[in-house]
Amino acid sequence: MEEPATFERHVYKNASVYHYMKMSLILEDESKRLIAAEFKQLIVSGLRDLYGEIGAAIPFDLLTFDESTKTAILRVYNSGLVKLWSAITLIGSCQNELCAVRVTQVSPFLLALCGNSRETELD
Amino acid sequence: MSVFMDLNISYTTDRKRLQAMIETAAHLGYSTVAINYTVEFQQKKQEIPRPKSVTELFEKLPIVQGKSSPIKVVNRLTVVTADAAHFRPTAEYKSFDLVAVYPKTEKLFHTACMTFDVDIICIATTEKQPFHFKRSPVNGAIERGVFFEICYTPAIRDSTMRKYTIANALCLMEICKGKNVILSSAAEKVLELRGPYDIANLGLVFGLSEGDAKAAVSTNCRSVLLHGETRTTAFGIIHTVKKVQPTTKQTDEAEAPASKKTKTENI
Repeated sequence: MEEPATFERHVYKNASVYHYMKMSLILEDESKRLIAAEFKQLIVSGLRDLYGEIGAAIPFDLLTFDESTKTAILRVYNSGLVKLWSAITLIGSCQNELCAVRVTQVSPFLLALCGNSRETELD
Repeated sequence: MSVFMDLNISYTTDRKRLQAMIETAAHLGYSTVAINYTVEFQQKKQEIPRPKSVTELFEKLPIVQGKSSPIKVVNRLTVVTADAAHFRPTAEYKSFDLVAVYPKTEKLFHTACMTFDVDIICIATTEKQPFHFKRSPVNGAIERGVFFEICYTPAIRDSTMRKYTIANALCLMEICKGKNVILSSAAEKVLELRGPYDIANLGLVFGLSEGDAKAAVSTNCRSVLLHGETRTTAFGIIHTVKKVQPTTKQTDEAEAPASKKTKTENI
């Protein structure tokens, strides 16, 4: 006989030392291309602008960067998340051109970035 | 969960740009935005503008991301005052949903907090605050339900203004302890808008706690809107929401005896 479905609760406490951020860069001139190194340079300079040399030393990794959509996934230690995120928010220009970095998702699990519930159409 | 609002989008005569900004705000997840008209009486021949009706701007309002409802657009007036005579609550103010004041001197800041019939008091972000915040006017404003506004767009534009914004915000937080603060954009371009979660995170840099920072883009803004509505009425307002009762299991209940029915409903 089949067992009745049981409810089990899992609580992860500090399951991950990293946070993952998915973001896309929006430029005024949409046709402009950017390579991954330039994107990382943009974020590091944003960190330096807001937090100085110590901020620029915050360790983070650029996991992927899609050049056609200018979408990136970043990995950062939990301790540096707030600083990195606020620096990214205050980035306003890229190579003397207006730009904005739209953070779409932030999660401690990389798998969570594969879908976005906010993009789903509700009826 | 409360919805996100951005209560300061600068009005421009460029209709296309304004439309694009409101569309972007809806896409970023803001459920309500306020179009801001500014008057400075220091410059001569300034008149209080007539707010444009929202239907004139959009035939169909854009849908908010992650919701099925369209974005709500309200009008707001900001009066830049360097003299007490500049703030005259006339009938023209009543055509706006929100009224804000930007006091330039300490004396005016005090009267704005204690007596002016406004919803929002703007904190300088483009220049160094020429005076210190004192505890008594700030507490008076909190008691009256008036909110302090910090705009983040100057911080994106320029590094000097970023310093002023952060410094003035930290000075305010020391006195008001994170209460009655709203964060808004004051954006003039589409690329100056940021998402609500980004701003909640930015609030941490401005010295707010995590909960206060999130309230600064959501629940506090709702209080401001309700406060704005009280200005146009005699006493106050009561906000009610009709709750939709679930209509399932009706057939089961109809068969059950009356005594049992009440029991199941209680569970």
